Amino acid sequence: MEAFKFIQMKTIIHSLDPRTKLLLAIIYSILAIIFEEIFILFFVFLSLFPFILAGQLFKKWIKSIRGMTFLFLLLIIFNTLFSTFSKSISMILRIMIMVSSFSLFFLTVHPDDLMLSLLSLKVPYNIAFSFSLSFRFVPTIAIEAQNIIDAQKSRGYEMEQGGLISQAKNLIPLLIPLIVCSMKRAFHIAEALDSRAFGSTKNRTYYYSISYTKKDWLITVILIIFFIFGIIVKIFPDLLPNWFYWRFPV
Amino acid sequence: MNLIKFEDFSFKYDQAQDFVLKDIKLNIESGKFILLCGITGSGKTSLVRAMNGLIPQFYHGEIKGDVFVKGKNTKNVPTSTLSRDVGLVFQNPENQLIAMNVEREIAFGPENIGIPWDEMDSRIKECIKITDIEHLRKKAPFEISGGEQQRVAIASILALQPEIIIFDEPTSLLDPKSAIQILNLLKKILLEKKISTIIVIEHRLDIVLPLADEVILIDKGRIIEHGEAHYVINGEKFLNSGVNIPKCVSVFQKLMNQNIFTGKLPISIEETKNLINSIK
Amino acid sequence: MEKKLENLQILVNHLTYHYPDGTIALKGINLNIYSGEIVGIMGKNGAGKSTLIKTFNGLLKPTTGTVYIENDEVNNVLMSKLTRKVGIVFQNPDLQLFANTVEDEIKFSLKNLNFSKTELENQIYLTLEKFKLKKFQNRTPFTLSGGEKKRLAIASIMCRNPEIIVFDEPTIGQDAEGVEFIKNLIKEKHAEGKTIIIVTHDIEFAIDNIPRTILMADGLIVADGPTNKILSQDQILNIGSLISPQLIKLSKFLIDLKLKVPEDVYIKENMVQFLGSYFKDKMGITEGGKP
Repeated sequence: MEAFKFIQMKTIIHSLDPRTKLLLAIIYSILAIIFEEIFILFFVFLSLFPFILAGQLFKKWIKSIRGMTFLFLLLIIFNTLFSTFSKSISMILRIMIMVSSFSLFFLTVHPDDLMLSLLSLKVPYNIAFSFSLSFRFVPTIAIEAQNIIDAQKSRGYEMEQGGLISQAKNLIPLLIPLIVCSMKRAFHIAEALDSRAFGSTKNRTYYYSISYTKKDWLITVILIIFFIFGIIVKIFPDLLPNWFYWRFPV
Repeated sequence: MNLIKFEDFSFKYDQAQDFVLKDIKLNIESGKFILLCGITGSGKTSLVRAMNGLIPQFYHGEIKGDVFVKGKNTKNVPTSTLSRDVGLVFQNPENQLIAMNVEREIAFGPENIGIPWDEMDSRIKECIKITDIEHLRKKAPFEISGGEQQRVAIASILALQPEIIIFDEPTSLLDPKSAIQILNLLKKILLEKKISTIIVIEHRLDIVLPLADEVILIDKGRIIEHGEAHYVINGEKFLNSGVNIPKCVSVFQKLMNQNIFTGKLPISIEETKNLINSIK
Repeated sequence: MEKKLENLQILVNHLTYHYPDGTIALKGINLNIYSGEIVGIMGKNGAGKSTLIKTFNGLLKPTTGTVYIENDEVNNVLMSKLTRKVGIVFQNPDLQLFANTVEDEIKFSLKNLNFSKTELENQIYLTLEKFKLKKFQNRTPFTLSGGEKKRLAIASIMCRNPEIIVFDEPTIGQDAEGVEFIKNLIKEKHAEGKTIIIVTHDIEFAIDNIPRTILMADGLIVADGPTNKILSQDQILNIGSLISPQLIKLSKFLIDLKLKVPEDVYIKENMVQFLGSYFKDKMGITEGGKP
């Protein structure tokens, strides 16, 4: 979760409009999906670095990538077994691109601005609001989950034991209190929202607003050109030198 | 003026067996600091829910009688609209802070009722000033202490400029000094006429009684006593109600039982001191 | 019991604890708790109270320093052994209730204690009786009232019969009856020779029921002594964000009046007696009547 936790900073990337960063995440993800050539993916991946560095996010980004080592190992093993080693490498690159571009988004967009950008994309207010609300409560629920584990352990509950089924059974003493507490919390939140005039008028006003600046337009244009270039390459593969299409022999 | 009026109001939650509020007749007037007390399960929380329309709009059930908030029947007007007249602050600030920073938190209410930006900005500034949280303005709710969270919750309700604010055990999770500070803040807000009436549910009677103008005592869903603080405290019903009686009250009650003391029971340390002085 | 070395039950030496996110919660705690003591832990939220008690039953392992529970160093024993010796009752019962019935809830707490079937049944029966939960035996815990849930949560620790009992804010939101219940439970467990530790903000409860109080601030113990002394010194009160209990304030006032006040007048009964005779004296009241 650390890799997606917003921290207020003053860098050029943080000051960009959330929509620009959302566009970036979407374009990079599309590119990651349509290509499977290792070199192309690698260059796409490299082109993310200026953003990561400008946002002073290198350490956090490394953390999020490191957190996925296990997943990568699994991918290599299974893909190589059932397909080819090259496939497994491109799969890893794809995931790295998507995770990096989205963590760039979540690390630099204030969760409340997230709501504003969803609104500007014509997402209904209720949906956009519940989205930002769920962000707000992630740390709260994480603390609660830890408290539940502590409370049960203090009654002699032992977590690590037995096979898959008994382990699933073993989760019940944790899951039920978590669900009960979360439901109670949801009720309290709903009450609190009602008590603060939530939904009392359709003509809601906003204290904060997001706006596209020159920086945003510049980056948007670059991203779109980059994207169009990617699409052209996909349609006319001959445009790139042959070595771009090199793959591992296995 | 009557701000809130209960006319023989009774309420039973869906699926519950008994009525939780029974034949409530109550007038809440302006300019008062009102303490609402009663033991666990006596119906305090339900009573305040009925004051801003959460009962019957959010919590459904069987109703008898009516509740009027500034003349509006709570059956017909949604809670979100009533919230402009009645603000409700809950026990656990963690569950009522919904934004990622304090400023946005305070803006939330005014945004919901469509206040123009300039007025919103001045309201936010004013609320931040009254509750003394300028230094927290850009902080996230989980970066600040419980007492600070409760101040933010108060500011965010004040921003709606309701005439009545109800506090449901606002200090139970706080340390004693923070609790006193919060209660004194409420009194200050009342005296500066930022708000017309304050109703507080509070278990720590020792620190809230000295501030209270009126006390409402509720037991098994019925209001069994309502009046000026001294009047209620001196009544049998209060002393036998099972609420946490402050020590200075119970000391003098004992003295009274031993026929050593006659007169009004003191509701604060200050009054106790005066009483002892007067005997000297 | 006397404060002798052989009665030492919890020994904390230079204990520090750093959370994985880098927060330093304990900065060098030294503490002795003797068998049969009732000890209060006070201090602001974030002072390190919860962190400290969690090292007693193995929920947290010391970063540096040592914690001995009886003769076991917490780093060297299994948590299951520690939780058997140290029972922590947390504040919010909703954090732990999950079973289908009240009886199952108790059974769950006894699961890993190697009881025989008859012992198990016996223990469940005794616990339900003792905590007045017998009539709810086959009911789901979720339909209990707040007070009943609290009793069940306490019962689910007490049935394990720990030598050391830790209460985390036991009186929050409790009315007079709830407070009385906790008070009697503590008295009873004290009489059985158990060691009791109470984390609390409740000064009025502390002054009546807790002889010794430790004040924590910013990861350190800043005061340790008789509760009435701790709660009457302004400097200490400021550090802990505390206030004096009413009768301590009153006894200070009486001292300022140059009255000969007995030292333990902050106890309600003594205050009644003192003021009683003072009033009689001043007003010339004779026994049992008005002037």
